[in-house]
Amino acid sequence: MPRIITCYKWVKDEADIKVDTSSRQLTLDRVGYKISDYDRNAIEEAVRMQEQHGGSVIAVTVGPPSAKQSLKDALSRGPEEAYFINDPSFAELEPAQTAAILAAVIKGRLEYDLIICGEGSSDLYAQQVGPRLAELLGIPCATYVNKLALEGTRINVERKLDDGIEKISLPLPALVTVLPDINTPRLPGLKQVLAAGKKPVHNIGLKDLGLTCEVTLNTTGILAATMERRRLRFGAGNEDIRKVVDALLKEGVIA
Amino acid sequence: MSGVWVLGERREQTLELLNAGLGLARELGTTVTAFAIQDQGLAKTYIECGADTVYLLGSLAPEQPLEDYVPVIVDVARQKNPDIFLISATPRGKEMAARIAARLGVGLGSECTRLRLDENKSLVMERLMFGGAAVQTVVCLTRPQMATIPPRTFEPAVPLANREGEIIELPAPPAGKVRVLERKPRVQESVDITEARVVVAIGRGVEKQEDIELIQELANVAGGELGCTRPIAEELHWLPENRYLGISGQKIKPDLYIGVGVSGQIQHISGIRDAKVICAINKDENAPIFEAADYGIVGDLYAVVPQLTRELQRVLKK
Repeated sequence: MPRIITCYKWVKDEADIKVDTSSRQLTLDRVGYKISDYDRNAIEEAVRMQEQHGGSVIAVTVGPPSAKQSLKDALSRGPEEAYFINDPSFAELEPAQTAAILAAVIKGRLEYDLIICGEGSSDLYAQQVGPRLAELLGIPCATYVNKLALEGTRINVERKLDDGIEKISLPLPALVTVLPDINTPRLPGLKQVLAAGKKPVHNIGLKDLGLTCEVTLNTTGILAATMERRRLRFGAGNEDIRKVVDALLKEGVIA
Repeated sequence: MSGVWVLGERREQTLELLNAGLGLARELGTTVTAFAIQDQGLAKTYIECGADTVYLLGSLAPEQPLEDYVPVIVDVARQKNPDIFLISATPRGKEMAARIAARLGVGLGSECTRLRLDENKSLVMERLMFGGAAVQTVVCLTRPQMATIPPRTFEPAVPLANREGEIIELPAPPAGKVRVLERKPRVQESVDITEARVVVAIGRGVEKQEDIELIQELANVAGGELGCTRPIAEELHWLPENRYLGISGQKIKPDLYIGVGVSGQIQHISGIRDAKVICAINKDENAPIFEAADYGIVGDLYAVVPQLTRELQRVLKK
C-alpha cells in the first residue's frame, strides 16, 4: 500500500494583483492566497491513488508562518496529516531552497513510496522543485505526467511532452510532477472542512532542520509585464467593423 | 572557466541557443560549447554555426530516456566549470536543467526570455511570473549561471565561413532507473500554429462546438489558423491540445491575432503577447482582453463575426 507525500505551495492569487501602469509596480498588499493551482491536482491525484490502493497521504508545505491558513484547505482535500515547515524567512524562497528544505524534512522524518508535486507553482512557475527534490533524495522522477498507474513496486506513467507521449516505468520510491489535465480536483464539502480541523499538523521550524539555505538565484526586480497596445474600442455596427478592417489592411497584417 | 555552454534537445533549438550563446561569448571574450545528441553530422553543423567545441553524447539504448544524460553532463560540467549554461526549455530540457542544477548545487533561471550581461559581466535574466502578469529579473550567484530558454526565443545561428572546432565524444550513459516503455510521437498536424501569420482564437464566449464553423470561416477568409484558450482544448476538447495558446500552451508571434469570445486571462495573454496586432471581439466591455488589444470590438460575437467575415471577403476579394 503506497505511502504518498504530496507537496504544495501557498501562493498569492495572481488574479488579485493590481498594477500601477506608470511605475510598473505591483500592488500585492491586498491579494488573496490560494493553494497553487497545479498543486491541487497533485493533492487530488495522491488522494485518488489512496482511494484505489489504500496506504497513506501526507501533505507537506514550506512557507512563512502565515501559510498556516492553507492547512485546513489542504487537509479538507483528503490527506490525513500535514507537515508545515515554516519560518518568517520562508516568504520568498527560490526553487533550490524550497527543494532543499523539503528534502531535509523528508529524509529524516518520513517514509514514503511516492512523492507527487504539481508541474510548477502558479506564482514563479519555475518547474524546478519536483526534479530538484528527486535529485536531492536520490530517487527517480518523471515530470509532466498526465496518467499514472501503480504496478507492484513500480509506477508506470505517461508524460505529455512537446513531441508526443512518452510512457515510462519507474521503481519506487519515485517522484512525479503532474499536469493539470490529470484530474479535476474535488471541491471539499462542509464535512471535509470540519474534519480537516481535527487532522494532525506537524510544525517544523528552521532550527529543527539544521540547514542553511543559501541564495543561489537572486531576484533583482519584479515589474508588471507591459504591453504597448493601442486599446482602441469599436462597436458592433457595420461602420465600426469597416473601420477595423481598414485599419488591419493599413497595418499590413491581412492580405 | 570554459565559456558558454548550450544544450538543446533538437537541432533547431540548439542553433537558437548557439546564437544567444555566441552573443554572450563575444561580450565575455570566451568560447562556446554545444552538445550534440548521438549525431556526428549535427556536431559538425554546430561547429559551422559557431561552436568552438562540441560534446558528442553517446547513443542511448531504446529504453533509455533522454534524461539519462544528466550524470554525463554533470561530470563534464564539474571538470570544465562553464561560466554560463543555457538549456532549451522543452519539457525534457526543463527537467534535465533542474536536475543538473540540483546536482551542481547552483541556481537556475527558468524559461528566460531575455538575457544580458551587467557591468560585472553577470548574466541578467528576465522571465515571466504570476501567470505572465509580471517580469522577474534574476541573477545567478553561483557558477555556472544556468538558464532555460523557450524554443523560438532567439533566431537560429547560421553557418559561418571557415569554421573549425573540436568534437569530443562523451561515453554513452549507463542505464538509469527509469525505463521507457513506449513513445507515441504526436500526430503531425498539417499546420503548425506557431508558424501561422494570422491566428483566430476561440474562447468560452463561443457557446457550442458547432459554432466553431462560424469562426473557421473567419479564419479562412483572413488566411489564418484556429487557436483557442485552455478550457476549449483541455476541458471541452473542441480543438486539439496543441492549438491552445498560453503560458503553458503555445506561444505565438503572428502578424494578427483575433480573439473571439476570449475573456483574456493573463495566462492566455502570455501566449499571444508577441503578436504584432491584437484584435478582440467580446460582448463584455470589461473583459480584460480589451486591455491587451489594439482593436477591441464590443459586441455579440454571433453578430460581429459574420459581419467581419463579409467585410474581409469584400476588401480581400475572396
